[in-house]
Amino acid sequence: MTTTDTSENISSVYRFLAQCMEYPDQSWMSDNFFLALDNLLDNLGGQTEKESIHKALAGPSKYTDSIEDLQVEYTRLFINARPHVVAPPYGSVYIDKSLQGKFAGDTLAFYREKGFAMDDSADLPDHLIHELEFLSLLAADNDQEGEELFLKKFFRPWFRQFHQRVVAESQHPYFQVVSQLIDFFTKEEDNDGFQLNPA
Amino acid sequence: MAFNLTRRKFLQTASLAAAAVPLSKVVSAETGITKAPLDAMGTHGDQTVVGGICEMCFWRCQLVGKVRDGRLMKLEGNPKSIDNGAAICARGNAGVKLLYDPDRLKYPLKNVGKRGAPTWKRISWQEALDTCGDKLNQVVDKYGAHGISVFPHGASAKYPMHYFERTVGTHNVSEASFFQCRGVRDTAYIATTGKAPGEKVDMPNTKVMFFIGTHIGENVHVSHVKQYIQGLQNGAKLIVADPRFSASAAKADIWVQIKPGTDTAYMLAIMNYLVQNDKYDHDFIENHSYGFEEFSEAIKEWTLEKAAAECDIPAAQIKEVADLLAANAPNVAIHPGRHVTWHGNDFQRQRALACLTGLLGAYYVKGGWVPAKGPKVKGFSWKNHDHGTDYNLNYNQEEEALRHPYAPPGTPSELIRDCAISGKPYPIKGCVVWGQNPMQTIPNQEKMKQVFMQMDFVMCVDIMPTDATLWADILLPEASYLERYDYIKKGTQWNLAETHQQYIAPRMPLVDPMFERKDQVYITNELAKRMGHASEIPVKSLEEMTEKSLASAGLSIAQIKAEDGIHIQPGKDPYSMPEDFEVQLYNDDLADAGFPGAPTYIAVPDVPKGFARLLYGRAPVHTFNRSQNNVWLHNAMPVNPVWVNNEVAGKLGLMDGDTVSVVNSEGVASGTTTTVKVTPGIRKDCVYMYHGYGSTNPALSVGKDQGIDDQKLITILTADPESGCSGMRNNFVKLVKNGKVLDMPA
Ligand code: SF4
Repeated sequence: MTTTDTSENISSVYRFLAQCMEYPDQSWMSDNFFLALDNLLDNLGGQTEKESIHKALAGPSKYTDSIEDLQVEYTRLFINARPHVVAPPYGSVYIDKSLQGKFAGDTLAFYREKGFAMDDSADLPDHLIHELEFLSLLAADNDQEGEELFLKKFFRPWFRQFHQRVVAESQHPYFQVVSQLIDFFTKEEDNDGFQLNPA
Repeated sequence: MAFNLTRRKFLQTASLAAAAVPLSKVVSAETGITKAPLDAMGTHGDQTVVGGICEMCFWRCQLVGKVRDGRLMKLEGNPKSIDNGAAICARGNAGVKLLYDPDRLKYPLKNVGKRGAPTWKRISWQEALDTCGDKLNQVVDKYGAHGISVFPHGASAKYPMHYFERTVGTHNVSEASFFQCRGVRDTAYIATTGKAPGEKVDMPNTKVMFFIGTHIGENVHVSHVKQYIQGLQNGAKLIVADPRFSASAAKADIWVQIKPGTDTAYMLAIMNYLVQNDKYDHDFIENHSYGFEEFSEAIKEWTLEKAAAECDIPAAQIKEVADLLAANAPNVAIHPGRHVTWHGNDFQRQRALACLTGLLGAYYVKGGWVPAKGPKVKGFSWKNHDHGTDYNLNYNQEEEALRHPYAPPGTPSELIRDCAISGKPYPIKGCVVWGQNPMQTIPNQEKMKQVFMQMDFVMCVDIMPTDATLWADILLPEASYLERYDYIKKGTQWNLAETHQQYIAPRMPLVDPMFERKDQVYITNELAKRMGHASEIPVKSLEEMTEKSLASAGLSIAQIKAEDGIHIQPGKDPYSMPEDFEVQLYNDDLADAGFPGAPTYIAVPDVPKGFARLLYGRAPVHTFNRSQNNVWLHNAMPVNPVWVNNEVAGKLGLMDGDTVSVVNSEGVASGTTTTVKVTPGIRKDCVYMYHGYGSTNPALSVGKDQGIDDQKLITILTADPESGCSGMRNNFVKLVKNGKVLDMPA
């Protein structure tokens, strides 16, 4: 595989992971979506994870259907909840203990520096989805240096805490597995850092 | 859980391609980030945005926002303001933390769990509004418009409140700012002088300030504090009647450590002394009062000695206060207070304040009660319709008279709650809570829970989760005061001694609303469309409402922006009394309705043995529970220590800083704990705490269970007979330490 191919593939993975973190909805959570997720897990040897998701989806629904189960759990984990929201998907909440903290501003500045802008309809710059979308765009540009710097400065510093909370508290395996996948594709390895082109 | 590959290995293999290719087919086309022209760093959008109007409390100071890249960095007072000026208080500053509080409501939520113990699911606005419309229609169809009750609060709740009251046609609207706060002050003054008094005392230019319970300093409203401090600086004397050594008592020349509930007796004695000793303003009484003789006759029993015994204060001190007031009349500021729903005898106390001001001739004079002449700006809302008295719970159909004829606008909370729980005279099955937190504003929380539980439908609109939003079926996220157009603040320069000026300052957004938060006009109009009232919609947006209002004063949003957020114009001299101004020392209408025609003292129940009376008041850095989850404000004052007299504490073995809980005489326990503040600055027969702590909603990650909720302990209900407003200081408590309930020594 060429470097460009690899980058493009990584870009697709990031983009897919961003999609996985959208609010669950029939419009995109189709059979094909789950087939693609299964395929990714198969390639990673994630049999157990795959089965856990399918078991939960096929099991009795707590609400009207399995998508509504996911929606209720998404709301509880990431939006508003009683007792309280588990893991707000915004970096500032972990770094600045607030939404729209300095961290969000710095994240936006980094996007700009790399020649990207936030859409008017976008969520806050430091939302997990946008950070993954941005990584996808950098990978598509084959900007390995930028990708590594972004992961180091703007992604990993808070994602670890987010991930721990989701894994510990999610009552649906889907979110645990997705968070696990994000962790897998973004974590630092040994002392080498993230190697796009390991050749 | 772990995948059986390392990532590096995976990226090296052909598996990556096999896994990645199908992924791109199942993602949506749009992303939140797109390619943009390259830009230099550090030049993005640092700006000062004008037009902010604070609503961390109701005072509404004028603000500017320092905004970077659409992110509000800091709030400051608008330097152009002739009201608060460049100053804002701690709460005003902390508005940034409210705006970006991670616990704030973000999307419409549907409760798929139980009322009181909700499980939330994010839903679309379409679904949320359709559900609210359907459910409210069902209530109206089955029970009539009066089957809907509304608990509104704040600037954003006016428009929806008018919609439900005027257009849908329910009388069952209860505002906490009236029935649990200032309503009785306003109606008592209207019955006495024809005017609601506001807090319009000319403190900077007075010779004596007279406060009953008012605790400026802990009760912080910027321009009001400026007026008070200026008055003190100018040498005004300060008289403070308060069972507690409040921030104002600490600055007082005379601190009257009065027994709670007896303030009317105290003022009757002062007034009787002024009359008996010919120390009242003859000219004012002759030309601007009614019923002096009946009034004098009615209060003559109130000798200094009698009041001294009733109020537990020295007779000589009452005389000293009366003489000080008389010597400086008419330039004396008799403060009308604000939160005055204390004992259920409050109408009479407020009447007494208004009459005392009259006896001293202290209306429309320098240093007295002076309503500054502000600019006229028209409001736009739903058209008024007459909905008759058939379903007005405050109207006694048999006697063809109002039960509480001096009720403020709306219906007294207790009448609504009793009707909802009993189903008599009719069912109330729909509930709209808009910006109010009736769990922590209306006494007796168990009763409020019963009200919610028997509803067919409950909807709440708020910016934050509260103890009330736990009971919603549908919960809608509202844009905050920093994210919307809205209220037009108007007034005059803060010190009436300075050049007379008027200002007009509309609220304009400092930043865009985040997530899917919407404003009150959008939400209300969408409900109206679904409830068959589309043709009556008065404005399409808050911006249009603001434009129309400004146009009535010959202004526009563009012009206000060009004028840095505040329009200033020449003002008028406020020190001239309208010719027909009259103080009804004796009010015939009151007497005809079966109430005392002259101010009358009505004793409140004494403290039972072993208990202390529970008093509460304002904290300088909090606006009740509304600000309890604010990180900055929480850090400034995390809990509300309970004040206990030092001798009492000594007998109970309590030390400063001890942790205690509280239980009331009806067996209701606080549930949470707080610390003890041991002080000689409180009477032995009461304890005191700041109001607005101990929220129970676990969604408040900062504020939950911090301190004690005094409101939870207010379970004995009293209603002021004239106004129907709640009496909230007739509850008695004991402290609990290490599980042991402590009998309070007498
Ligand atoms: S007094 Fe403080 S909280 Fe109230 S409006 Fe002014 S700045 Fe805001």
